[in-house]
Amino acid sequence: MTDNTTNTTQTAIEAVSLTKRYGEDVLAVDGLDLTIDRGTIYAFLGPNGAGKTTTISMLTTILRPTEGRAMVAGFDIEKDPDQVRQRIGVTFQELVLDDDLTGRQVLEYHGRLYQMQPSKRRQKISELLDMVGLADAADRRSKTYSGGMKRRLELARGLMTDPEVLFLDEPTLGLDPQNRAAVWEYIRGLREAGRLTLLLTTHYMDEAESLADCVGIIDRGKLVAEGSPQNLVRGMGADVVRVRGEGDLIGFSRQLSSFEWVESTSTESDCVLIGVDQGSRRLAAIVESAMMSNLSIAEMSVSTPNLGDAFLKVTGRAFREE
Amino acid sequence: MNAIVTIWGKQLRKMVVHPEEIIGLLIQPVLWVLLFGFGMRGLMDATSGGSSQGNYLTFMVPGIVALAALGGAIGGGNEWLTERLRGFVKEYLVAPIPRFSILAGNTLTILTKTLIQALVILGLGFLIGAQGGGSLIGWLVTLVLIGGYAAGFAGIALATSSSTDSPGGYHMLIFILNMPLLFASNALYPLATLPTWMRIVALMNPTTHLVSGMRGVLFGNGAAFAAESTLPLWTSFLAVFAFAGFGLILAARAFSRSIRKV
Repeated sequence: MTDNTTNTTQTAIEAVSLTKRYGEDVLAVDGLDLTIDRGTIYAFLGPNGAGKTTTISMLTTILRPTEGRAMVAGFDIEKDPDQVRQRIGVTFQELVLDDDLTGRQVLEYHGRLYQMQPSKRRQKISELLDMVGLADAADRRSKTYSGGMKRRLELARGLMTDPEVLFLDEPTLGLDPQNRAAVWEYIRGLREAGRLTLLLTTHYMDEAESLADCVGIIDRGKLVAEGSPQNLVRGMGADVVRVRGEGDLIGFSRQLSSFEWVESTSTESDCVLIGVDQGSRRLAAIVESAMMSNLSIAEMSVSTPNLGDAFLKVTGRAFREE
Repeated sequence: MNAIVTIWGKQLRKMVVHPEEIIGLLIQPVLWVLLFGFGMRGLMDATSGGSSQGNYLTFMVPGIVALAALGGAIGGGNEWLTERLRGFVKEYLVAPIPRFSILAGNTLTILTKTLIQALVILGLGFLIGAQGGGSLIGWLVTLVLIGGYAAGFAGIALATSSSTDSPGGYHMLIFILNMPLLFASNALYPLATLPTWMRIVALMNPTTHLVSGMRGVLFGNGAAFAAESTLPLWTSFLAVFAFAGFGLILAARAFSRSIRKV
C-alpha cells in the first residue's frame, strides 16, 4: 500500500482530491486522495455520516464529484462512466431487492440489464446461487428471505457480471453474528478466487480488522489514517492502558508524553488512552503521575490495542458502533 | 433498447405475480362502467325524455377510458416514487445503460397497463349496450390516441413523483391535476351544455380531444346524445400529441434532476 505508482494495470481505484459539496456549507467528502491496488480488500472505516457512502456513490458513477477526479478499473468516472459501469459490481447499504421476484429472477434481470448471453447468464446464476447457499431458495420470492439471505442474494447480484471492482456498502448491516460470519467467509473466498478488488465500507471495527488488507479511517469527509489493520494498531504501542478518572486529564496525558516508553496518548471525555511498550510494567509509573497531576483514578485496565483505539487516536473521538 | 425492454419486462413480471393487481386493474374500470354508467343513464334518460336507451352509456365509455389512463399513470408514478425512495433506482444508475431508458421503461409499463384496461373497458362497453363499433382503422386510431394521452399523463405523474420525496405530497399534487382534467371536459357531459367559460377550459383540455376523437371513430359520434358535436379528428391528434410531448418533456427534465441527487 505504500507503493504510489499510478500504473492503471496495478491500480483498481485512484482518486485525487475527490470532493463532494452539497449547497454552500455541507462538505460531505473533502479532498479525498486514494489509491487501491488490484486484488486487495480495502475497507473504509468511519462512523455514520463520515462520507463513506458519498464516496462510494461518486466512485460508482451515481454522483458527480464537485471537484477532483477518480479512475476506477482504468477509466475516468466522469469521462467514461459507461466503461466504469461495465466493470464494477455494487451492493448498496439499503436492501435493494424486488420483493416480488424470486432470487433467480433477480439475478436473471440483472444479467439481462448488462446484456449477458442467455447461456452465460444461466451458468453464472447457478454458480452464484450455489456459492452463496441459496440454491434451494432460488425459486422462492425474495420477500420470504431472511435478512442474511437477502444480503447474500445482493452479493451474488453484485458478482453476476464478473466485475473487476466490487463495491460493498455496509455488507453486513443489520445481520446477526452468525450471518455476518457467513458473509465474511464469502468475501474472503472472493479474494482468493482471483484479481477482484473489493472496496467495502463498514462501521464495524472487527469487520475491517478481519477482512481488509488496508483500512482507511474516514472522518468528516477526510481520510485521516490509512494502513493495514496491523500497522494502524502497531502505531498505538504494544499495550493500551485505559485510565478513567476525574481531574486534569490533559495535564496528565501531557506529563505522560514525556516518558520515552509512552508511544501515544489520546483523551476522550473522562478517559485517557495510553499506548505503552509493556502495560504491566508501566502501571506503577502511570499511577504515580496520576497522583502528581491530582487525578483521582476511578478505573484502570490494560489491553492489547484494537482499531477502535487507533480510531480514537487519529480522530480524537471514541468510535461508537450503533 | 435492451435496457428499456428489460425494465419493462421486469415490471410487468412483478405485476403478473400479484393477482390482486391484475384483478384491480380490470375491476376498476368495470365498476366505473357498471355503476356510473347505469346510474347516470337513468338520470340522463329521464332528463332527455327517456327516449334513448343506452345512449348515455355510449356517451360515457370514452370518458371511462380517459379515467383509466389517469389511474394507470398515477399508479405508475407512485411505483416510481417508491422505487426512487427505497433506492431501487441505484441498481439502474450503476448499470451500463442509458439513463433515459429507466424513464422510458417506466413509461412503457404505464402505457401497456393502460392499453389493456382500455380494451377491457371498450369491450365491456359494447357488450352491455354501448352503440357503435368502428372499423379496424377506427380501433387503431383509438389505441394511438389513448397511447398519446396515457403518455402525457404518465409523463406528468413521473415528473411529479420525481420532484417530491413525499408520497402524501405526490397524491395531493396528482389529485389537484386529476379533478379538472376529468370534470372540465366533455367526458361526462356534452360540451354544448357547459357554461361558456367551462367550455373554453374543456377545449384546452386534452381529455376532451381524446374523448371526442374516440367518439368520432368508434361510437358514431355518440352524437345522438344531447346533440353533441364532435371536433375534427385532426385536432384530436394534434391536441393529444402536443399533450404527450409536454408530459414527456416535463418527465425527462424532472427525472434528470432527480437522479443527480440520489
